[in-house]
Formats: sequence, C-alpha cells, structure tokens
Amino acid sequence: MQIDNGPRGISRFTVVLTATVFLGALVSGCGDDADGVRTSASTRGEDGRQEQRVLWVGDSIAGVEGPALKAALTKSGVEFKDMSSDGGGTVVQGDEMSSRLAEPTWKALDRNLSSFRPQVVAYQITTYDWGTAGQQRASYEKLAEAARDADAELVIVSAPPFKLDDFYRQHASAIESAPKVAAQVARDSDGRVRFFDAAQLWGTDSKAAKAQRSSDGIHSCQQGSAAFAAWFAGKLSKSRDFTAADPGEWANGAWTEDRHFDKLGCA
Amino acid sequence: MTSTRAGGAEAGRTASLPGGRHGGGAVRRHLAALDGLRGCAVAAVLLFHAGHLQGGFLGVDLFFVLSGFLITGILLQETTAPHGIGLTAFWVRRARRLLPALIAVCTTTLLLTWFFGTHAQLRLALDDAPWVAAQAANWHFVAEQVSYWDAGDSRILTHLWSIAVEWQFYLVWPLVVLVAARGRGGERRIAVIAAAGALLSLALMVSLGDAVDTTRAYQGTDTRAFALLLGALAATAPVRRRLARVPGRSSDALCALSALGLAASWALTAGESSPALFQGGMFAHSAACALLIALLAASPDGIAGRLAGNGVLRQLGELSYSLYLWHWPVFLLLPRTVLGSSGWGRTAVAIGLSLGAAALTRRWVEDPVRRRAPWTVERRGAVTLVAASALAVGVWLAVPQPRPGTGTVDVEQLTTR
Repeated sequence: MQIDNGPRGISRFTVVLTATVFLGALVSGCGDDADGVRTSASTRGEDGRQEQRVLWVGDSIAGVEGPALKAALTKSGVEFKDMSSDGGGTVVQGDEMSSRLAEPTWKALDRNLSSFRPQVVAYQITTYDWGTAGQQRASYEKLAEAARDADAELVIVSAPPFKLDDFYRQHASAIESAPKVAAQVARDSDGRVRFFDAAQLWGTDSKAAKAQRSSDGIHSCQQGSAAFAAWFAGKLSKSRDFTAADPGEWANGAWTEDRHFDKLGCA
Repeated sequence: MTSTRAGGAEAGRTASLPGGRHGGGAVRRHLAALDGLRGCAVAAVLLFHAGHLQGGFLGVDLFFVLSGFLITGILLQETTAPHGIGLTAFWVRRARRLLPALIAVCTTTLLLTWFFGTHAQLRLALDDAPWVAAQAANWHFVAEQVSYWDAGDSRILTHLWSIAVEWQFYLVWPLVVLVAARGRGGERRIAVIAAAGALLSLALMVSLGDAVDTTRAYQGTDTRAFALLLGALAATAPVRRRLARVPGRSSDALCALSALGLAASWALTAGESSPALFQGGMFAHSAACALLIALLAASPDGIAGRLAGNGVLRQLGELSYSLYLWHWPVFLLLPRTVLGSSGWGRTAVAIGLSLGAAALTRRWVEDPVRRRAPWTVERRGAVTLVAASALAVGVWLAVPQPRPGTGTVDVEQLTTR
C-alpha cells in the first residue's frame, strides 16, 4: 500500500517517529509535571539537572517577597530575577490607570524573556489588576502566550489578602475577580498555565494573624515574606527539576536586611 | 497615623520687604503679620502630623509662597541698589539663615535616633542625611517613593524635603531676577516670568499628579514651584501697585475671605493624596496664600494685619524654622509605650518638647548667627562652620550602621506550617 506523503512531503518515517516520541513522552511522563504542565526544553547543569531560571513579576507586595524568594530559590539551585515594580507591575490592560501601569511591565517582560530566558515566569496578581473580567482574562492569556513563545511556563499566584483602603475600595470588584479569572485561565490552558492559590498560605482575611501583613495592612515583613518563599518554592519544586532548600539554610540570611522592610517599619 | 512626607517650613524668619501702602518704596519693613502667617503655617503642619488636622500639610504651601514673596522682594529691592544684586552675598545670607540650625538639628537627630529610634529609623536616617546635606532630599525621596511607603513612620528626616525645594529655588531664582529685572520694566518682566512659570509648574503637577505614587508631583521642585512663583509675583511692583489701591475695608474683607478659604482647605482636605490637590487644588491654595500675603503686606496696619500679627502667632512664626526642623523627629522618637501612638496628650507633649528644642536652637544657634556674634563671623565664623560640619560628618560616620531584620525570622514557624 502506498502512503501519500502529501504536499508537504512528510514521510511515514517522520510521522511514526514523531508519534513514537510523543507517546513515549506521555507514557514516561517526561516533560510533564504532577499538575500536567509541560516543562520547557532547557540545558542541564553539571549535576545533570535542568537549569532553572525563575522570573518574578508583580507589584510591591511581590517586591517585598522577592528578597526572601530569591534567597530560597538560589539556595535551591534556581536562578532568580525579580522584575517586580513598586507602584506598578501589573500586566492587565484594563482601565486607564492599569493600562498605563501595564505598559512598562510588558516592555520589561519582553526584555527579560529575551535576556534572562526563564523557564518559569511567575506572576503574582497585583493590586492594580484593574479591569473587567474580560480584560483580565485577555491580559493573563497574553501573558501565557508570551511565556509560551519564550519557551517558559507561566505560574500565576494570587495576591495575599490586603487592606482595601479608600484607594483600593473603588476597584474592589476587579481585585476580587482577578484570582478567579486567573484560575479559569489556568484550567483552560491545557496545562500551559498553573495557578497557585495563595489563600492556602495567607487565608482570606487581611486582618487575621495568618495573613501576616505589616502595619500598612498590605505588605509583609520578613516572617511573612519567608513564609511565602518557603511555600512558593515548595510548590514550584514539585513540578520543576529542583529540591526546595530547607528554610533553615536561607531564612535568616542577609535578605532580611532589605530596605523595603525598613520603609514598612518592620523590625 | 501620621504621614511621613508632609511638611516643610522656611521663609526667612524676619519678614522684611519693600514697603507697602504705608512704607515708602525702598524702606524695608518688618511685617508682624507675615510672621503671624508663618506661625499659622507651622501650627497647621504640627497638627497635621499629630493627626488632628487632615489638611494641615498645606501649611508648607503657605511657607513656599511666603518665601517666594520675601525673597523676590529683597532681590527686587537690590536691583535698585548701586551695585545691583549681589548673588554671593545673597547666597551667603541664605546659608547663614538656614544651615546652622539645620546642621545642629540633623546632627542631634542622628544621635537621638541612635539612642531612641528603631533600627529601621536609624538606617534610613543615615541613608537620607547626605541628601539633606546636599539640599536634594526631595529628589531622593521621589526616587524612594516615600508617599507610596508612608505607613512605616520610619523616616526621621523626611520633612526636610521642603527645605531642599526652597534651597533649589534660592539657587535659580536670583539668577533669573538678576537677568530679567535689569533696565526699565524689570519688575513687569519678573511678574510675567513668575506668572508664566507658575502656570507651567501647574501643568506639570496636573500631568504628574495622576499616578499611584504621588511623591513626584508632591515633592518635585518643578511641580511645587508655582507656590514660590505666585509669592514672587505678589512681590512685584505691578501687583503691589494694584493692591495698594484697594481700600482698607475691602482689603480686610478680602483678607478675611482668603483666610477663611485657607482654614477651610486645611480642615477639609482629606490627606496629601487627594486627587483634587494635583488637579488645581494646590494651585488655588497657593493663589489664596499669595493674595493674603500681598494684601497684608500692602496694608499691615489694617484689622487683618493686626490680627495676623498678634503676639502668639508672631512668636510662633519667629520660632517656625527651628520648630519645623524639630517637630517630626520628636513626633517619631517620642516613646509610644508611655504616651500611646495618638491623642491630644501625646500631641501636647510632642509639641511642648518641639517648642522647647526650637527655643533652645533659636537662642543658641539662630540668634547668634543672625546677630553676628563674634564666633559666627569672619575667621572665627569659618572655623565654627568647618568644626560644625566636621562634627556632623563625624557623627554620621561614627553612628554604627544597624542591621535591622537580623534574626527576625522564626524558622520553626516556616517548617511547621
């Protein structure tokens, strides 16, 4: 029987080989993590493990978590780059203000995807993800596409509960919808996007001790940032090729002296 | 809760300017009413920082307008002198007026913060001090986004942003006056430049004020320049001539209206981030200040002038610079364990301590310099300046850099979650 190679000239051999590799990958689970997320092809380090680079994106809440996260991931053998932005960092192109804030985020993201070449883009939903649910969804999907184009996976983590003062209260509905939209984007992503629900760590009440907010009711001090770093590194390590370092190895490092904590009046 | 970014105070303690309605063109007159306004301004700032007057930070704006008015008046007066404006002499006078108290208070504040402050307060004070010394603290705070991070009450020197704004104005404005006020129609040209500059500054504030972090709009020299320039405009001959023609009763009525407007804005403005402030509100406030100042200067002996220049306000005004320098460190360093974090009891103690420190600073630092005590002039003055500066730098270097945050994480809590 003759097989038509078709106009593109794809040989049977190619088809069979591709199918075999694909099936093999599915059976062995190689390239998939426990949550069904594909890992990107990457180089391996001297220990035979995949090199891991995490790009951290978010607002100042993420910025205050960044030093702890860097300590935790670096100790775990993961390269980390913090591109969070105080008073910005959103990717949502929603209302006028969020669109204005998103513009530099997207530019910085483009630069960092090219230069840092992360395997993971981790986006913590910001306090400025203001827009309709449709605008939020479109923006998160655009972020997922940008990550995929850069051969990276996207992890979206929800923001901790924070005090809705006069400034934020007018955007309460957008703040409430953002994690729901992000979770839905992850569910619909065919495994390309993962959603970490930080309510597991912080709870949902910003005033509760569990939320570990500083005196401003929004950001965390050292203990809260360390808690987040330990939790996030643990979650990420389950799907990536690294073992999260024991908190005892990094939790009281020099990062605790970061000036963000001075500004917040932390110890 | 008090904000860490409001405040500011300086306006040349002795209010002297070319004479108004009763003064004669070249006679410098002390205007008790303007000292009284300074007293009102510093009282507003203190009450704001104590949490009792939500719009009291606008007192800084009044200081700016007063500065623009008084400095421009002096400069314009000098243009008619035989040798014109002496820039070096002007800057030396400003330095003698501002720096001694600033050096004394900042050096003492560093030591007090070392003993009584938190590690975070001390580290940020050590960070900020060089910027204060360079008279560029406002730009440093813009870069640090202090409005965004204002909840910590951890910046002891943050109120000095306004002193930096004034210094920067003192560096540039005399040059403008020197060039533009020459020849016939000089004061008219200055008036036009001041008015145009104020409008440009307003446009900048409007464009930069619509941001999540408002520090740039609030503390930028360019965005706050309109207050200084409206004061400058009010000091020019075209404006003074027009106001001199206003009948006494009308002048008093206008003063009362302006003062009521200012009082209402201090009472009703809801904090430094109120959007309306950056969309023309602050400009309107500055304009009302300029009108009030110009009217009081034109008619100092009217009812309004006598009220504004009453003894208490005038004395407060005479203390205003040192009082302003001291109040914020005192507010932050006063132990909360004893007096709580707010309330009138704490306010009374804080203001009392600030007044005491201000009176001492005036007595031992400001007055001797102003009266040209032997140790403040010529060779001994230079030696004093070098010694005081060396002491300040020495303290800055000697105070150990704290390491806040060390050991703050309970690892056990992380592993048992």
